Amino acid sequence: MIWLTWRQFRTQAVVGLVLVLAVGVAYLTTRSTLIDIARESGYTGCTDNCERVASQFVKTARSGYLGHLYQIGALFLLLLPALVGLFWGAPLVARELEANTHRLAWSQSISRNRWLGMKLGAIGLATAAFTGLASWAITAWASPLDKAEGWVVPLTYAARGIVPIGYAVLGFVVGVTIGMLLRRTVAAMAVTLVVVIAAMVGGLFLREHLVAQSTYQATLPADWDGGISLSPDDPNRDIRIEVDPPTVATWVLSNTIRTSTGAKYHGPYDPAKCGMNAAGGPDVCRAWIASQNLQQKVIYIGNEKFWTLQWRETGLLLVASSLLAIFCFWWIRRRVA
Amino acid sequence: MASAVTTQNLTKKYGRKTALLDCTLDVPAGHVIGLVGPNGAGKSTLLQLICGLLAPTAGSLSVLGALPASGLPRIGFVAQDTPVYGGLTVADHLRFGKHLNQTWDDDLARERIERLELDPKQKAGKLSGGQRAQLALTVAIAKRPELLLLDEPVAALDPLARREFLQGLMEYVAESGATVVMSSHLVADLERVCDYLIVLVKSKVRVTGDVEELLATHHRVTGARIDPEKLGPGRAVVHARHTDVQSSLVVRSTAPIDDPAFTVDPIDLEDLVLAYMSEAAESGRNRVLEKQR
Repeated sequence: MIWLTWRQFRTQAVVGLVLVLAVGVAYLTTRSTLIDIARESGYTGCTDNCERVASQFVKTARSGYLGHLYQIGALFLLLLPALVGLFWGAPLVARELEANTHRLAWSQSISRNRWLGMKLGAIGLATAAFTGLASWAITAWASPLDKAEGWVVPLTYAARGIVPIGYAVLGFVVGVTIGMLLRRTVAAMAVTLVVVIAAMVGGLFLREHLVAQSTYQATLPADWDGGISLSPDDPNRDIRIEVDPPTVATWVLSNTIRTSTGAKYHGPYDPAKCGMNAAGGPDVCRAWIASQNLQQKVIYIGNEKFWTLQWRETGLLLVASSLLAIFCFWWIRRRVA
Repeated sequence: MASAVTTQNLTKKYGRKTALLDCTLDVPAGHVIGLVGPNGAGKSTLLQLICGLLAPTAGSLSVLGALPASGLPRIGFVAQDTPVYGGLTVADHLRFGKHLNQTWDDDLARERIERLELDPKQKAGKLSGGQRAQLALTVAIAKRPELLLLDEPVAALDPLARREFLQGLMEYVAESGATVVMSSHLVADLERVCDYLIVLVKSKVRVTGDVEELLATHHRVTGARIDPEKLGPGRAVVHARHTDVQSSLVVRSTAPIDDPAFTVDPIDLEDLVLAYMSEAAESGRNRVLEKQR
């Protein structure tokens, strides 16, 4: 059975291996250039007030071919689950059912549990190994940039660490399951693409509930810095205040200005202090706002939650994959002949 | 006589559609059994139940004295349209069989491939229909099954390829003594090789028996209008056709019929099977029968 699995899978395996090796070589060989830029920009070794240096480093590193590599890396890891589902998962059983060759295989001295188990196990492991390798190379490569920009920024996060492995394994099992249900390779590939994309978009929205969210709350200081927007014709005299979140809040879920009672603040503003008809300039308005006893409340997920979130999300994805795999074993015994 | 397969009220339904109904059979071992019936009669379903690919909806069956299961070394199966892996070469198929069967007879497989003049490096997808069927048969018999099931193996083959396929099959039977159950919707294919017959029409078994015995006990009776009731006891009319002046019956009778009022002729296997098939067709919705492809 090992021989058959390998014989049927070897072309796809070689294509996958070439792709992963190309990624590995591309990122591991250009890593030194990125580190050089970090050193030259003064970002490496910076200990205090590094924000300006960091943004300078990111700006330099993101221009030129390194910037392309950065984007391609993220795109590659975000597309990988769909690619695995499409080309490794969907045809795996669908192609056999389409050509009736499953009946040839099951007429040999082998149970269909072992037949499916070997295919799911071997190619599932290959999926995890290949994705893990690519993700490791890209995560390591991008680590100086991520350190400057934050690890848990949603799109960066999904293309780093072990989460890509979870999505790729899920994509593979989803492909196998849909192929088994539809029994048509091309249709299964199309549906797999839709389902994998839906799963990843779903992950994007559910992710924030996987760890405890942090809260930052502080009284708006007298010298507060931020934007004010209001409409002079508004009879309700609504005013909106925007203040940047603190640096610790890498992934900002909500950023609001609240009154001392905790309600969202939206005015009314005093037309004598703020707006077109106010006597003083914007500083008068700012001072007036500061005197309103307002608070900034930021709900966020910080960098320190990166690995907790990665393990939890990957764990959930692997559990979902296992459940689907169990369904596959059940289905192939009961519903396929 | 030992049984290769016995079934008790075997029924298989796909949703609301009944594929096989109340099938009670005793398939003797050591025979080449023809399973004949029109398309959609339930032949494939019966074969897949026997080789354990399908589970019955109701009833029970025993295959070689055990419950059926797929993946048994004692049972060989060549599925409909003789599937092979299009992307694998002929040699790969032998390797496939060797890896997946402890009982694999590599010499037998190699010798057959050589005799058939198949190129081991040829991709199976590029083989002709006849060669593909031969390859599938080779894989099935090289595991040396005691019971070999073949689902319409020659349906898509030209007459020469049919003859060669059946020859190969008979050689294996002669050498191994295996029991073979082979389905077809054409009696002509089975006539040459089968010594036992099961006629399946519309999910039901119509008649089973040793071919020679069936031929000896069935007669074509013609004469001026015959009342089927008056044939006497022990005689069953299988099929009757009446015109204004003449009747033509197919009668099953263990004793010879010697009534001077009728002409009694022996019947060939094809007409016998057709009699059973058309009897079923007339008693229900009409089904177009193919006498010759």
